Amino acid sequence: MELNIEYMIDTFFLALTGVPATLSITAVALIISTPIAFFMAISKIYNVTVVKQIVTTYVSFIRGTPVVLQILIIYSLLPSLFNAIVKNIGWNINIFEINPIIYAYIVFSLNTSAGLSEIFRSALLTVNKGQYEAALSIGMSPVQAYTRIIIPQALVSALPNICNLTINLIKGTSLAFLMTVKEVTSIAKIAASYGYNYIESYIDILIIYIILCSLVQILFALLEKHFGSYKTLTGSATKTN
Amino acid sequence: MRPFKPLFILEVFFDLLPFLPVTILMLSGSVFFGSLLGFILARAKIAGRRFIRLLADTYIAVMRCTPPIVLLFIVYYGLPELLLSTMGLDINGIEKAIFVLVTYTMLCGATMSEIMRSSYESIDKGQWEAAVSIGLSPFQAFYRIMFPQAAAVALPNLCNVLINLMKDGALAFTIGMIDVMGKGTLIISKNFGAYALETYIALALIYWGLTLVIEKSFSVLEKSLSRGKRSIAE
Repeated sequence: MELNIEYMIDTFFLALTGVPATLSITAVALIISTPIAFFMAISKIYNVTVVKQIVTTYVSFIRGTPVVLQILIIYSLLPSLFNAIVKNIGWNINIFEINPIIYAYIVFSLNTSAGLSEIFRSALLTVNKGQYEAALSIGMSPVQAYTRIIIPQALVSALPNICNLTINLIKGTSLAFLMTVKEVTSIAKIAASYGYNYIESYIDILIIYIILCSLVQILFALLEKHFGSYKTLTGSATKTN
Repeated sequence: MRPFKPLFILEVFFDLLPFLPVTILMLSGSVFFGSLLGFILARAKIAGRRFIRLLADTYIAVMRCTPPIVLLFIVYYGLPELLLSTMGLDINGIEKAIFVLVTYTMLCGATMSEIMRSSYESIDKGQWEAAVSIGLSPFQAFYRIMFPQAAAVALPNLCNVLINLMKDGALAFTIGMIDVMGKGTLIISKNFGAYALETYIALALIYWGLTLVIEKSFSVLEKSLSRGKRSIAE
């Protein structure tokens, strides 16, 4: 087996031009789904009657179906649905010409919000109820108690899971080529199809994903150190005692 | 826009069901071989020399960062050429299921080893020492004392791995494997792309049902395995 090294190096830099698209899908999905997931988690914790059932079913559906299927369903449903809506309103926009990355944002936001809501829920539950009561008793409003006391503590235990989710999300974006989005995988795949250099292209993609995921892991390790600082402080205090 | 036809979902659903055994077979095959690989890796990490430990760590880190579809294609295009050039073995005409099995075994092995290692390490070392001190052989101590306890700890994670593996397994259609997903795409192309949405929804229902079955059976299993265990809640 001989690898075409020259081609590999060329394609590596070509595929790197897809990294912004990959990262933007990841970032947009995380940003959109964070507030949604938070309210989903809260509604589950506080047992809001109808909402809780809807959220549970939604999470179970997203968790139980492959991402490929979610992509294919959304991509075969939304464009024609949007088109019908736009035609009905009477706008003069051609839906089929807009950037397909929009659909990638939608799919991955839907997908991430389900996973993130479970992470938030378990993280919020790790914080002792006494913390909340203590915060209220010294005169904080419930919102203040959440933003200043509960969430900073919950975030520490949620971070490793969020890191996992982000890595899975980055890996998942490799499927966006099904929606003709120009990201790392699809660019390298198209380059490969000219000369049947599939192995070289896929090894390039692999290297790029390894670099991306390692960077994310380093980033989260730093974040964990930052947010967990109060924990290490108490830890060292007990050690000196 | 063509009207949505809910009845077609039901029709496709029964066309797809006969291919469910293929999906389940691939899943159980990769879990079986993945567990073997995972066991070797976990052993290497717990008791191996430094070099072997490094090797296992690297393998796990790489697999953690690899999108399943990329690995699938590397195996699909790379394995035949690798075997041809190193051993002179021509496997180009071989069943596609083999490539799928190899890919998901590689992926599953990495996660499996981490689960095995963490659950093994969660059991108190004193259990092992006590077992050996009353005269059990190291194998007996592992098999009778450590393994049942570690299994109960590992179960929830194992359930997650199984579900994720099944979901990733849906990608096998991209190399032309005919499981439920592959059959679904065949049906769509047979209908010249019509009723795609209905077919995908039927597929989603099948996968969802499969997930619910796996979750349910694991929660039953967990209950029976963790009997006699007391947590702080009680």
